Amino acid sequence: MASEAIQRQIATKWQGSFTRLNRDQPGILGLLSFSEAWKVASDFLQPRDLTDPSSKKEYNVQQIKVAIDILSKSKMLPMLLENFLGIQYPCRGYASWQHTKCIPLSADLDSSSPVCLRRQKTPNILLGLVTNTRFPYDDNLTLSRKARAHHSLRIYPCLPDTRFLGPAPIILERIQRASTSPPPWAPPSLNPTQPMRYDLPLWTAFEHLGLLDRYESLISSVCYEHIETHILETCAEKWGTPMLNQLREWMTNKIVPWMVMPYARGARSAEEARSMLQGVGSRFDFHVCKTLADLRTKEIFDIIVDYPDSSGALQDLKECLARVDQRAPLVQTLRKANKKRLLHPGADTKDIITQYVSIIRCLRIVDPPGVLLFKVADPIRKYLRERPDTIRCIVASLVGDDESGDSLVDENEPIQPLQQLQVEDFTDPNWEPEPIDAGPDFRTNKPSDVISTLYCSRNAIPGSKHDSQDPLWGGRFTNMTDSKRTDQHVQSQKRVSLHPTIISKHFWPPLQSSKFHMPGQFKQIQDDYAKEFMAFKPDKRLRWLPHLGTIHLEIELQDRTVPADVPPLEAAFIELFSERDLWTVDELIARVGSVDRTSALRALMTWAEMGVLKEDGDNRYRLLEVAEDGSSSGSRPAPPKPAQIIEDVPAVLTVQHQQAEQMKIFWKFIEGMLTNLGTLSLDRIQTMLKFAPGYDRTIEQLGAFMEAARREGLVNVKDGMWKLNRQ
Amino acid sequence: MKVHVKNWHAIAQWRWDTGASDADDDGEGDVCGICRVPYEGCCPSCKMPGDDCPLIWGECSHVFHMHCLLQWIGTAASKQQCPMDRRPWVTAERKVAKQGR
Repeated sequence: MASEAIQRQIATKWQGSFTRLNRDQPGILGLLSFSEAWKVASDFLQPRDLTDPSSKKEYNVQQIKVAIDILSKSKMLPMLLENFLGIQYPCRGYASWQHTKCIPLSADLDSSSPVCLRRQKTPNILLGLVTNTRFPYDDNLTLSRKARAHHSLRIYPCLPDTRFLGPAPIILERIQRASTSPPPWAPPSLNPTQPMRYDLPLWTAFEHLGLLDRYESLISSVCYEHIETHILETCAEKWGTPMLNQLREWMTNKIVPWMVMPYARGARSAEEARSMLQGVGSRFDFHVCKTLADLRTKEIFDIIVDYPDSSGALQDLKECLARVDQRAPLVQTLRKANKKRLLHPGADTKDIITQYVSIIRCLRIVDPPGVLLFKVADPIRKYLRERPDTIRCIVASLVGDDESGDSLVDENEPIQPLQQLQVEDFTDPNWEPEPIDAGPDFRTNKPSDVISTLYCSRNAIPGSKHDSQDPLWGGRFTNMTDSKRTDQHVQSQKRVSLHPTIISKHFWPPLQSSKFHMPGQFKQIQDDYAKEFMAFKPDKRLRWLPHLGTIHLEIELQDRTVPADVPPLEAAFIELFSERDLWTVDELIARVGSVDRTSALRALMTWAEMGVLKEDGDNRYRLLEVAEDGSSSGSRPAPPKPAQIIEDVPAVLTVQHQQAEQMKIFWKFIEGMLTNLGTLSLDRIQTMLKFAPGYDRTIEQLGAFMEAARREGLVNVKDGMWKLNRQ
Repeated sequence: MKVHVKNWHAIAQWRWDTGASDADDDGEGDVCGICRVPYEGCCPSCKMPGDDCPLIWGECSHVFHMHCLLQWIGTAASKQQCPMDRRPWVTAERKVAKQGR
């Protein structure tokens, strides 16, 4: 009875199984095809040793698909999986893999073998793992979950968790290869429709192996590393243009699509993917900013040296600092770099000041409130205070007798409006509190005139011994910069040949005032300028100090033009001579106001030496509208000293002739040195001629002479080097 | 003969247009009635003279450093009066308009 029941039960079961396997095919055809399919599938799933090339087999993907399909219809996939998992681990495939590969691997870990070797091996092993998990899970969730749990149980213990030995190198490789050809050891892709995404099979495999969750942090750290490498490669020492946008674009194009797989694999729509990526995306963006900020911080000193060619980098830095808190390291780095590279005895004071000014300009871009600047600039100011020649350098650059000096005062800087009271206006809707890292002694450098920051603070530069002198110097500097600005403004209203320096009376040593006043057109120019000044600064008036300054003139005479740089008194006199040709000294003095006789005579002498005036009997001077032969004036045995005459139009033979006579002597010298030394530059010739007795020509005159000699065919010039012309 | 001025570097001093004493420039300059520092200097709380430390003109014709006067007006004792003549302080319209020549 019982056995019959059992028998029946077995029969039913057997019948059910048979039907399932035979799938309603006639006879045992279905059974046959099933066993064929089973064989194909299990053979396909049989683990292989990847390192053994002989075990490599070609599979017909189509055939396998058909086989899997049959198994699936027969509901035998779970069996297949069980079988697969069953044979994999205990039997030779995975077992040997585990024991032969993982043990040397851990041995590697202990030994001192180089990292790269370890890096090399792990990927291969892992890829073996990946390739061996070609189980066709398809959409069967239960199956894949089961398999994943199984895999994680088996694989975790034998996969190291460390950075170098884990799957990191493969991931990196995949990111980098996102659009290049597949590596030679790439696993055969099961999904041929997307051949360009080499990272896809990896992620699928990872997913099936249950590795994704475990290595999520590792994946992101690999990604960080990749971002860092990229930034270092593309941005280092490229300061011209802002790079941040470019980097973000790169992130969008390269990293984001890649991130979809590991971080948004469950997403069903683009919308969903975006929200899943948001967190990790902003983490990566933060990392981009941080890396860039770090890089720029490291380079900051050179960026400042390069300013203004490096403004792009500064923009980047500003944007990054808004996102990353890197301000303190930036200050530290810059201070350290300044100390090491700038504030040492080997650096020129001028260079320090130039760099200081650049630092100010740069940090204003990066941090407009000026907190960073305050922290960085302080040590430089203190250092500069100890330099004895600081003030000289600043003054020289302000007054402009230094070619590069103009860089200190930026002519393009807008003219500052009147200084407001220092009280903060809290009703201002744009009011902002001081930045959080501002120290208690921080005060905004309100006057944004760069130079004024040098001396504005009480303990600032003015390296002179007493602090009490500071305002004095400060006042003088302000005078200089203000003058330049005022002049700029006035010139923009009306072009005047007058460029005054307008000073504060109480900040300069008492200047002896002089009572003389400029006649004629000079008076006119002064008045015009004063009028513009009044319009510009309605509260102020100008008071000229006529005896100070210099004037560059051109005296146009009938036969010649004489350029001259003269003090004002000389200019005043010659202006009077344009009214009439003959003046007595007393008349002249009366016209310009109170001048003492000595200085008046000295002024007239200057013109006499230039051959413009001639003493004409007792205290009378006459204008030489036409040059006289022989320039010495009658009563005075003045040596011919035409040093300041440069003939613009060599119209008169006599002068030229006379000069040529003198030059003849020197020509002998020149000829001699050119014979001996071959070729010489004009400078050299001038230097050597200075040894010759009585030689008093300027280099311009010598140049004119050499030019004349060339026209006569005596010498040749090439690239500024003179040589004799030998026939 | 003609004299062409190519470039003239001159020196000038500025001074406040206080309206009153411009007869002779040589007067050593008037002082602010509050701090006794010349107008062309600056009030005790400033370092730079000039636009940073301007003057203020009262209708009573008295002139002070603006900072000095504001400080004075800010004290209770001032009763908002000019410190020189005890008349209520009224800041004058800019004198320049009147003087414009």
